[in-house]
Amino acid sequence: MSFGSAYLTLPDFQYLKPKTLQETLQLLDEHKDEAKIMAGGIGLLAFMKERLVDPRWVIDIKAIDELHTLHDDGDKGLTIGATTTMNQLLAFEPLKDKYKALRDCISLLSDPVLRNRSTLMGDVCEALPFVDGPTPLLVFDAEIEAASVKGKRRIPMAEFIKGIAETALEANELAVAIHLKSPPEHSQSLFLKHTSSSEFSIVNLAALCANPTKPENRTVRFAYGAIAPTPARVHEVEDLFKRKNPVPQLIDEAVGVVRKSTEPMTDVLAKAEYRSHMLEVLSIKAFRRLLGS
Amino acid sequence: MKMTRSINIKINSVDRKLEIKDNELLLDVIRDKAGVKSVKAGCWRGECGLCTVLFDGKPVKSCLVLAVEADGRDITTAEGLAPEGQLSPIQKHFVEKAAMQCGFCTPSFVLTAHYLLSVNPNPTESEIREYLSGHICRCGTYKQMIEAILECAKQQNQAKQTTAQTTRR
Repeated sequence: MSFGSAYLTLPDFQYLKPKTLQETLQLLDEHKDEAKIMAGGIGLLAFMKERLVDPRWVIDIKAIDELHTLHDDGDKGLTIGATTTMNQLLAFEPLKDKYKALRDCISLLSDPVLRNRSTLMGDVCEALPFVDGPTPLLVFDAEIEAASVKGKRRIPMAEFIKGIAETALEANELAVAIHLKSPPEHSQSLFLKHTSSSEFSIVNLAALCANPTKPENRTVRFAYGAIAPTPARVHEVEDLFKRKNPVPQLIDEAVGVVRKSTEPMTDVLAKAEYRSHMLEVLSIKAFRRLLGS
Repeated sequence: MKMTRSINIKINSVDRKLEIKDNELLLDVIRDKAGVKSVKAGCWRGECGLCTVLFDGKPVKSCLVLAVEADGRDITTAEGLAPEGQLSPIQKHFVEKAAMQCGFCTPSFVLTAHYLLSVNPNPTESEIREYLSGHICRCGTYKQMIEAILECAKQQNQAKQTTAQTTRR
């Protein structure tokens, strides 16, 4: 059926399906770079078909109970296990309001059938510029929990993606959970993206705002992705919005700050100038919606 | 390195034992080893949706699933929606609305529509469009397919109401 074409088959590998986290970490410690972790497999199998990735071992982590966690601890934040699927997240009540930027982001990803298998952790660990997941995680101050035979550590989302397809994970580390911090009370958040002719973003952004009408208590957070090799939070705009100036003036200034903070890239999806322009357009839209101007 | 193994897989309520290699795709095994041909190969990269099967009841694209993952699992394809020689409600409505032209994508749309109506018995047109967004029909019979799904939902809901009223009496 596959006509012997490389693009339609997978390279040889051995499939492993450990039942416990300890067993997985030992396997990963033993095989390191020769092993690839698989949850939904959406990205991994596609890259393997194109021979961009050619692991000797594929470790399926779906049988490990503790990675299926998904729980909201109120003020303490939200925990998303590595194997939680996009559809499980879409159906999860706390995401609907409190973590709306993340929900909006997921609802625009791929399609409802693929979301039965794709995971947010897989999206984050792919670390490709056009992947949307990391951007909303930045405005919720997320941390990625990594585990290895030596123990566990938490890596802030802002330090997790090092470059294109490059993360802060060591070869023997497994990303086990995403921890989101609870956003400020009564805050609203949103996610916007502009795509090329495919589902892939050429610009995406996530923003959050609490107390839009009281400058002294106003909290604004802003992050963008897809425009450069790594996503980024723009902290400069956050102080700017504490000032008492009229909101339209602050928005103008903030959009200028956002534009200056980026170094947009040119790739097959879009040119740098176009990305920069679209970031400006989406930023205006996002700030106006959240600050009600 | 041992790279072949046998898996037990239930396809359309029939238990099968199949010899597979670790690097085989569920799509190829269902078609070539189990001989179930309603599952079509279109793009092999999760974009066209024609290889959709119900995996433990939920739709997945079998070109992005390893055959070994289906060990001990339950797979349903369009052939399994109704007994041999009969049509399921959604299949009947696809026929009535002539919701196909060449028919290549039809089994996948039928399966996904069947699943959608099982979790959302009363979908709006936009919900149907959203749910089918991962499927491509090159003949472009989307309009007829959406009509068929809406009509099927309407009739199933009417039938349910009639049954409920009869029981109440």
